[in-house]
Amino acid sequence: MIEVAHLTRRFGGTAAVDDLTFTLEKGEVVGFLGPNGAGKTTTMRILTGYLPATRAEVLRVAGHDVLRESLAVRRRIGYLPESVPLYPELRVGEMLRFQGRLHGLDRAALKARVPAVLDRVGVLDRERQLVGKLSRGLRQRVGLAVALLPNPDVLILDEPTSGLDPLQRREVRALIKDLANEHTVLLSSHILGEVESIAARVIIIHRGRKVADGTQAEIVERLAGSFGGRGHVRFEAFVGDAEAAAELMRTLDGVARVLVGERVGIHHGFQVEGEGDLREDLGALALARGWAVRELSRVEPTLEELFTRLVTGGDEVAQPELAVGAAPAQPAAHARAADPVGGPFLAVDQPALLQAQGAPQGSGPSTSPRVAGPPSAAAAASAEGGRVIYSLNPFDRGAQRDLSQPVRVDAPPAAPVGDVPLPPPPGPAPGPATGPATGSPGAGDAPESAGGQA
Amino acid sequence: MSGVFVIARRELAGLFKAPFAWLLLLVVLVLNGMTFRAVLLQSGGNVSASLDAVMAGRFFLFWLLLLPPLLAMRLVAEETRTGTLEYLLTAPVSDASVVVGKFIAGLGYLSVMWASALVYAFAMARVGGHPDWPAVFGTYIGAVLLSSVFVALGILMGTLTGTPLLAAFLGVAACVIWMLLPYFGSLLADLVVPLFADSGEALASIRLKVDALLANMDAIRHFQRSFQRGVFDSSELVFFMSWTALFLFLATRSLEARRWRG
Repeated sequence: MIEVAHLTRRFGGTAAVDDLTFTLEKGEVVGFLGPNGAGKTTTMRILTGYLPATRAEVLRVAGHDVLRESLAVRRRIGYLPESVPLYPELRVGEMLRFQGRLHGLDRAALKARVPAVLDRVGVLDRERQLVGKLSRGLRQRVGLAVALLPNPDVLILDEPTSGLDPLQRREVRALIKDLANEHTVLLSSHILGEVESIAARVIIIHRGRKVADGTQAEIVERLAGSFGGRGHVRFEAFVGDAEAAAELMRTLDGVARVLVGERVGIHHGFQVEGEGDLREDLGALALARGWAVRELSRVEPTLEELFTRLVTGGDEVAQPELAVGAAPAQPAAHARAADPVGGPFLAVDQPALLQAQGAPQGSGPSTSPRVAGPPSAAAAASAEGGRVIYSLNPFDRGAQRDLSQPVRVDAPPAAPVGDVPLPPPPGPAPGPATGPATGSPGAGDAPESAGGQA
Repeated sequence: MSGVFVIARRELAGLFKAPFAWLLLLVVLVLNGMTFRAVLLQSGGNVSASLDAVMAGRFFLFWLLLLPPLLAMRLVAEETRTGTLEYLLTAPVSDASVVVGKFIAGLGYLSVMWASALVYAFAMARVGGHPDWPAVFGTYIGAVLLSSVFVALGILMGTLTGTPLLAAFLGVAACVIWMLLPYFGSLLADLVVPLFADSGEALASIRLKVDALLANMDAIRHFQRSFQRGVFDSSELVFFMSWTALFLFLATRSLEARRWRG
């Protein structure tokens, strides 16, 4: 339905869309994902014929060339721009009839089609209302009705849920999902949850380039490997000695890594990584040992996490972390623990972290002074000899930064802001004992322990 | 082609469904009515002179410089601002249809406005006056034709910018310049013509030709020497329509250029 090959659009010197290639089959629902300014709107405007492409090898919609047969393409497209342009002085019915006339529908067709479409989007009772007096959510629905009226082959919806409240958002989402049965839909969003819930296939673009394309499972699968974390089991229980318990878990079949997380009250958190679903084994172990289990769940990396990493880490992954405005990460840790989506455990770029420490892990984790950590994070850092800084400032490392994680830097921050208790310069001899384990109670967890124990 | 009328119909509906058009109509009609009455009383009941005052006179020209740019501001520049232009330009109609549709709507509005003078004429006839009917209708047609040029020019200026106020200002400036084209031309001729003449006679003869040329560009004279007298001259028709067509063509191109600018 939509074929795009090597599409480039420049505005002056900057390329808003840069060598973009993708195809949509008939009946597909594809989510266009990217941060603001990634080139989503520009691409959609090019597809609808509003903007010409600077260069494109193939640019066809519904079998027609967008540039040469623009009108034929426009007849087959239902386009809802982000701003939902409707004439405020018209009534809803008049607006739809205008759209119908533009598409060459005759009187009889209009009479049948207008109420049908209004009913479809659930605003049949608003036909006589002035467009300018509609609420944002209703406007959006009317905009959808306008796009749907000529029964187009292709629906192009630019941020169809932006500016809506959560309830309206859900309604519009359901509506679009419903439409997907009859139309090829290309919708854009910078909100992942939305795309995840509507579109089977996702195209992620960043700075005008396509960085990922495929079903969500595929993208998660493919990116998970390169960006860390294929999912893990989250286990929280009252185990007594956390280290001993972790050691026990490592002996289970298929367990690759066990990370000891924060301690909440009497419970310890663990992140167990390995092959397959380890919940059953862990449950059995807990039963055998008599641990009081508070949580046993599997955490899959979400598209959201991967997207964030992809977008922020794609070309800035080597950026050194700067920690300013340090604060104990306790609240963040709790917030993250309550968050069902992302566990507090995911080590962001573990290889880099390891390298910064210069401490390849060979010895057992029992050498790490984990449980009996000093109370203050800064003190912990100085005791370790490394430079561990806790920060709640999300701008420290962009969105990539896991707030519950201690951040290790090997150079002092260039300009510390505020009266931050910076840790002293790093100790000269990082050894196995100066692992990342910082064990400050509740202030985040150690990002790793020795791997390959199983 | 049907797109033109669909758009023209929508634009007219849009104009008359918002208070803007009615307010404009009210102000112009009240002032025109006062002018008509004043001239009528002053001239001792000269119906033709009074009608000319509201359809061809100085007041009329003043409105002509002011109204089309204001209309174009609503028709084009505001659509850019509210984003509905994106809707129109992705609808299955050509850019030319959009421009011509808006032009027809703007001209239709002004035609309604000038038609008020026809009402005065009928009223005068009823109370015993004797309007010169060919001149009355001729003047009306001429006024509409003259308006068409200004509306087209206003739309051209409206496509240049998305800021309504700036569009209106540019429109007024362009209308003034176009109306004073012969004057600017003669200023230029004063400077340039002597360079091409080596004797006084040659200068005079060239000047004569240039003046004739400039006189041909004078829209107001075109208007006054035919339509206002009730003479329907096809060459005058061609004069106004070709200017209109030129401006509409340029407006279409300008709209296309917007796409490239993004």
